[in-house]
Amino acid sequence: MADARETSRDQATIVDRGYRHYDGTRTGSRGAVRAIVREGFRRVMGFRRKAKRKLLPWTLIVVALASVVILVAITWATSQTPVEELTELVPRYRGYFDFISVVALLFAAYAGAQLLIPDRTDGVLNVYFSRPLALRHYLIGKVLAFATVILSFWLMPQLLLHLGLAALSREGFLSYLGRTTDILWQVPLAALAYFVLHASLSFLTASFINRVGAAAAAFLIGSLGLNLVALFAQEAADDTPGSRWAALLATEQHPRYVRDWIFGVHESVEWIPAQAGFGPGVSLAVIVGLAVVSAALVGWRYRRLT
Amino acid sequence: MRSRESELVTAHRTTPEAGAPIIKTGGLYKHYGNIRALEDVDLDVQPGVTGLIGANGAGKTTLIRLVLGLIRPTYGQISVFGTPVAEDPAGLRERIGYMPENKCLPLDQTAADFVAYAAELGGIPPVEARRRASETLFLVGLHEERFRYLGDFSTGMQQRVKLAQSIVHDPELVLLDEPASGLDPAGRDQMLALIARFREFGMNVLFSSHILDDIERTCDWVVMLDAGRLIHSAPLDPPGEGDRLSVEVYGDPGPLVDALTRQGVSVTVDGAVVTVVTRSEDAFAVMRDALESSGSSVRRLGTSLSRLEDVLVAAAREANG
Repeated sequence: MADARETSRDQATIVDRGYRHYDGTRTGSRGAVRAIVREGFRRVMGFRRKAKRKLLPWTLIVVALASVVILVAITWATSQTPVEELTELVPRYRGYFDFISVVALLFAAYAGAQLLIPDRTDGVLNVYFSRPLALRHYLIGKVLAFATVILSFWLMPQLLLHLGLAALSREGFLSYLGRTTDILWQVPLAALAYFVLHASLSFLTASFINRVGAAAAAFLIGSLGLNLVALFAQEAADDTPGSRWAALLATEQHPRYVRDWIFGVHESVEWIPAQAGFGPGVSLAVIVGLAVVSAALVGWRYRRLT
Repeated sequence: MRSRESELVTAHRTTPEAGAPIIKTGGLYKHYGNIRALEDVDLDVQPGVTGLIGANGAGKTTLIRLVLGLIRPTYGQISVFGTPVAEDPAGLRERIGYMPENKCLPLDQTAADFVAYAAELGGIPPVEARRRASETLFLVGLHEERFRYLGDFSTGMQQRVKLAQSIVHDPELVLLDEPASGLDPAGRDQMLALIARFREFGMNVLFSSHILDDIERTCDWVVMLDAGRLIHSAPLDPPGEGDRLSVEVYGDPGPLVDALTRQGVSVTVDGAVVTVVTRSEDAFAVMRDALESSGSSVRRLGTSLSRLEDVLVAAAREANG
C-alpha cells in the first residue's frame, strides 16, 4: 500500500490547466440584475463579509425579532389577567410598525448607504459598466435588493407575530388565522408604503454622499428633522394662509398615515398631515412624488458618474 | 414580452474573418467641451496583442471607453468585431473584458466572490461563474488565496485579481489599461508573461501603457496616440530583423556616408555618428567595406536592435512637423 502511494507520488505532475472557454448560454441583462440583487442582499446582511460587517444589521434584526417576542409575551401576560381590555392595549400588526419604527429607520439608512456608496468609493462601477449592464439595470437591481431586505425586515417579524398571536388565541390557532386574513394584504401594503418612502430618501442621500455613516446620518436627520420642521412651521405660522402645506414636510409620518388608512383607522389625527387637514390620499401622493423626484435625481447623478 | 429564448443567448464566440480588424475606427473624434480628447482617428486594430502607447492625456482611456460603448463619439464611427458599437453596446460588452487602471476592487469581498460576481455580470450563470472564478484565479496564481479578502491583498495580487475579472467571462477582446502599473520588477514580469499567454487562449488584447519596454515584450502591433491624434500604427518588428550598426568616426563622416549610400543601405547621421540599418545584408560586412573604401577612422563601433522608442520618436517628430 505504501509502495503504491510512493509510486503515484513519483508519477504526479503539475498540470497547467490553461484557460477553458465558455460555450454555454448567457443570461443577459436579466442575469446581471439577478446578480446585483443577490450581491446587494449579501452586502447589506454582511454575508461573506468579515464579522464586524454583520454586527449592525444583525443587531437591528435581533431587536426587531425580540420586539415580537416581547409583544407576544405581553399579550400572553395580559390574557392571564381578569381585565380583558388590557390585551387590547398591546400593539399588534398596525402598532408593530410604530413599535420598531426607529429600528426600521436605522436599518433603511444603513441598507441604502451600503447598497450604493461602496460601489462608487471602491471604483467598481468601472468594472460593472464594462459588462452588458445598462445604468437602468444597475439601479433596478439595487432597488430590488433594497426591497428584498427592507420588506423582509418588516414582514418576517410580522409573520412571527401573527403566528404567535394565533398560538395564544383562545379561539384556536386555525380559527384565528381564518378570521384575520385581512392582515395578509394590509401588512404587506403598509410595508410597501414604508419601503417606497425609505428607498426614495435613502437612495437620494446615498447617491450624493460618499461616506456610509454620513449618508445614513443625513437620512436619519432628514427623516426625523423634517418632522420637527413641519411641526414648528405649522405651529409658528398657524394663521398664515397656506402654512398648512408645511405639514407635508413631515415625510416620516406619511407612511404611518397611509398605513392607518390601509388598516381602516380613520381617526389618525395624531399625524401632522392629518392635523393640517390633509387626507391620507395626499400622503400617498407625497410618497409617490418623492419616489419620482428621487428616481430622477439618482438617475441624473449616476448618468454624470458613468 | 421577451421570451426566455431571447433572455438566454447562446455562446457568442464566432470565427472572425481572416484579416478583419478587431477594432475599426473612421474619422473618430471625441470632444469634452473645449477639450479634444481624440482627433480624426482612423485605426484598424488587428487580431493579436496590440500595444496602445501615449503620454497621460493622449486619449488612450477615451479610446478604450469608446470601444466599450460607455461614451459616444462626437463624430465618426467605431466598430468592434465588425459591429458598430452604437448598434449593440451591451451585446459587444459581453465579448469584451476590461481591466481599469485605477482601483476597482471591493475590499470587503473575497477574490473568489468578486470574480464570480464579475462573471455573472458578464452573463455566466451563477454555478458556472463560481467554477470559472476558481479556474481563473488559479490561472493568475491566486488559487490558494481566493478566499482571502481583497483588502488584505498586496498591490501585485490586486492587479492579478483585476486581470482575472477581465477574462473570467471568456471575452474575445481584453482591454488592459496600464496592467503593470504599480508593480515591482518581478510582479511586472509575471503580469506581462500572463498577458502574453492570452494569445494562446485565443484572446485579442489591446494593452495600454506608457512603458515602451512592456509593449515591446508583449505586443505584435503598436498604436501610438499623441494629444488625441493617431501618429503611428504598425506591426512591431521581431527583434533581430532590424539590426543596426552605429559607428562614430574621427573627422568628417561624409566620405563614409557616401560609401554606405553607394551600397544602397539606409544611413542616418547624427554628428560624427553614422548609423546603418539593414534587414537582409550583414551590417558588419557593409560597414567594413564602406570604412575601407572611405578611409575613415573609427572612434567607436557598436550594434543595437531597432528600438520601439526610436520608431515612436521619429513618428512623433514627423507628426509635429
